[in-house]
Amino acid sequence: MNHKLSVFDTQDYQIAEKNLQDKALLDAAKLGDKTAFKSLYELHVGRVYGLCFRLCADKSLAEDATQEVFIQLWRNLGNFDGNSQFSTWLHSVTSNVTISYIRKQRGWWQKMFSIEQTSAMEKEAIGSIADSNLEQYIYRLPERARWVFVLHAIEGYRHEEIATILDVAVGTSKAQFHRAKGLIQGWIDDE
Amino acid sequence: MNSSKGNHLDQSLEKNIKKLDVQKQPDRDLWKGIEHALEQTSERAGYIKEVHQDNQKRIFSNPKPLLAMVASLMILAVVGWMSFESGKSLLSENLVATLSEQHNVQKQSLLIRFKDQPATTDNWQQQIDDLDEAAEAIKGALAEDPNNNALLKILKNVYEQQMTIIERVHEPRWNHI
Repeated sequence: MNHKLSVFDTQDYQIAEKNLQDKALLDAAKLGDKTAFKSLYELHVGRVYGLCFRLCADKSLAEDATQEVFIQLWRNLGNFDGNSQFSTWLHSVTSNVTISYIRKQRGWWQKMFSIEQTSAMEKEAIGSIADSNLEQYIYRLPERARWVFVLHAIEGYRHEEIATILDVAVGTSKAQFHRAKGLIQGWIDDE
Repeated sequence: MNSSKGNHLDQSLEKNIKKLDVQKQPDRDLWKGIEHALEQTSERAGYIKEVHQDNQKRIFSNPKPLLAMVASLMILAVVGWMSFESGKSLLSENLVATLSEQHNVQKQSLLIRFKDQPATTDNWQQQIDDLDEAAEAIKGALAEDPNNNALLKILKNVYEQQMTIIERVHEPRWNHI
């Protein structure tokens, strides 16, 4: 009998082990164990910050949003029912909290200007970060188009889910996605 | 989640998306700020419980917009009355005292509400003290000229500035942690 695990089995095993680890830490954190919560933070901060960064397209805002995500997470740990993977729930919390956080940070005067203008300003701020071209193109996208592109193309959300998160029509989400894709393809063609 | 994500993307674009690393590590330690906020949350939860046990302080356990509205209406009523009665110097002096008393009650209630919340600036207390000094100077001037409506308005404005500062510096903005 061959006891060697195939690559597929090994991946499954790792995922199962990670889920068990999450569950143990989550159970302890729900009881108020901050050390366990810190371990959860250390395990997931990379994934959370990565999503925050792409949604915000701004390092400082992404850092603040990441903190806000974990603060909200701590306050709402009891809402996780365990029916889905913790990481799936965490990504959903991250998307919602980050979008909400970005909106809250916008001053009323910024709303008076076009979103495109704001994004063009953000582009300068993140230009120094060494990333792949696609990464840079994502940051160049207008805000709403970027949110939809990140959530749909990278995070795998359906347009119906994105419409709920962003409080827009499903058609608007689809339109923003096609707009984002068109812009990126145009920039790639210009390379 | 959509299992067929990227179906509508061109193959080259989809390939590039798959190459993206979904993880990014922040340049600075974010845990410190999170931990600080968690401690604040725990302390505040304890404080609220404590206040609930004390009926006299119950009003501060769950600050209500209605309280602020009522307080504002009271100030407006006092100021309106002051304007109407501005010809009577004796009454005016009493009204200045009433206005100051009302303001102090509101200010103290705000300070109690925010006592466990970190301030976003270090010098806000200094700003409050400066405005207190200004208020005292205006009250001194009003003692000599009790019917001066302009001075009454300035005093009211100084009090409003204090309330605005206290509220503004205690807004929860985690980017200041």
